[in-house]
Amino acid sequence: MMNEVTFQKDLQSLIGPEAGSRAKEEPNPASFGNMLARSLNEVDQLHAAADEAVQNLAAGKEKDIHQTMVALEKADVAFQLLMQVRNKIIAAYETIMRMQA
Amino acid sequence: MDFFDALNISSSGLSAQRLRMNLISANLANINTTRTKAGGPYRRKDPVFAAQAPAAPFHDMLRDRQKEFLKEVSVVGIVEDGRQPIKKYDPTHPDADDNGYVAMPNINLMEEMVNMISATRSYEAGVTAIQSAKDMALKALEIGQ
Repeated sequence: MMNEVTFQKDLQSLIGPEAGSRAKEEPNPASFGNMLARSLNEVDQLHAAADEAVQNLAAGKEKDIHQTMVALEKADVAFQLLMQVRNKIIAAYETIMRMQA
Repeated sequence: MDFFDALNISSSGLSAQRLRMNLISANLANINTTRTKAGGPYRRKDPVFAAQAPAAPFHDMLRDRQKEFLKEVSVVGIVEDGRQPIKKYDPTHPDADDNGYVAMPNINLMEEMVNMISATRSYEAGVTAIQSAKDMALKALEIGQ
């Protein structure tokens, strides 16, 4: 259900190939691109955990309904935060695109 | 992430109340049980809860002194009620002693019902806490919109 969604791939275009090459030139671990990639990874992990919890519940392995629901909620909130970050990036991009030379 | 601490702590509370509910169910189901593996009638069970620091890496603990005060609830054990079994006169019962008395579990139906309501309400409180924590996080995402 959710594991088909790979957020990293979707938003890789946002970071862009340029950011990747720049990172190679000067390996700055605190760069925005790295931070974004790390956050994406975390959100992806939370989604994987939620997915696993749902599968375990359906398979009868997990007996706690609330653990599954909490895992889903975590994934939901993390994804919403990610979407807000993405909206901000898009807004900044559009503002720059509207600049007159 | 700090936001998830609230969720995890509430989640441990939900687990504890669920276990309590299971034990109440067992107590109610065995209200007439006269035979157990240990011998004698069934004795009612009670959970023992303890406050416990959530599992976190050590450097997190060092960095965040406040985390010292965040405690999850954990089940440290299940104890048997020490009350003596009720002697009930029933000579036809297969477990009756020579005098015709049967040792029945000392379980008070009303006490168990009250415990059940308490467990349900505590569970509801935990769910409400989770929802509020989530609402707070979502409200924070509305900043700047």
